Amino acid sequence: MSQRENPFASPDGAKPTCLEMLQVILDGDASKVQQEYFASHMEECMPCYKNHQLDMQIRALIKSKCCGGNVPADLIDKIKSQVNSVS
Amino acid sequence: MEETPRAKYTEREKLDVFNNEFLPHINSMYNFGYRLTLDEDDAKDLVQDTYLKSYRFIESFQKGTNAKAWLFRILKNSFINDYRKKSKEPSKVDYQEVESYYNSDEVDRQITTDLRVESLQDMIGDEISNALNALDVDFRTVIILCDLEGFKYDEMAKILDIPIGTVRSRLHRARNLLKEKLSEYAKKMGYKNS
Repeated sequence: MSQRENPFASPDGAKPTCLEMLQVILDGDASKVQQEYFASHMEECMPCYKNHQLDMQIRALIKSKCCGGNVPADLIDKIKSQVNSVS
Repeated sequence: MEETPRAKYTEREKLDVFNNEFLPHINSMYNFGYRLTLDEDDAKDLVQDTYLKSYRFIESFQKGTNAKAWLFRILKNSFINDYRKKSKEPSKVDYQEVESYYNSDEVDRQITTDLRVESLQDMIGDEISNALNALDVDFRTVIILCDLEGFKYDEMAKILDIPIGTVRSRLHRARNLLKEKLSEYAKKMGYKNS
């Protein structure tokens, strides 16, 4: 890795593990600087690259298979009429 | 309900907020309800209850804040209070036990480094949905909130009433458990080194 300061390091300077960095990325909590750092880190770290690929693939599968489709139309009508009756 | 300063709405404003800020999230709400209850009728009831409560307590919703997170929190609370007791799922192991078991070092490592992208690519059926549904509801919930709905740590912490640190560790364990399940499916599908 280059001499760049690790933006994932904790305030006391403790160096994060690869898995800790990956988790921040996956959880959507990474800053732009962290994202860029991790992208360049993956170019040099095969386990991180593979784990990231795997996790992104799982996420894509969840998004495509677990979205459940639209709510039944009669439910929207029922809710609207109940709300109108109490308003 | 969250204890926040009450907003004052006219009847017309209430309906405007309801129609323009609450109802657009109904598909996500229905999917969340379904993933929690694993039953279409229960999901419909849960969504209906949630929307009626959201209207009844609309004055505790602060305009301009995150309506989706507010609605998800109501739905989650309704699920715990009204549905979890009578859920059709078999009764679960006490959550404390689950949490302490999964807090062990054994689970904190990357469990399934042997699961491969290639084996996932053949999972075109219900494997992923079944794997997700097979997780304990608390683990299932964080995956849905983060990976499907894109909520951030602080939003998930509010929705679930747990500290941010617990959100992080629960997500980490949930991902590992999901990989374990997927690895089992991959093995069944014939990937020797999946």
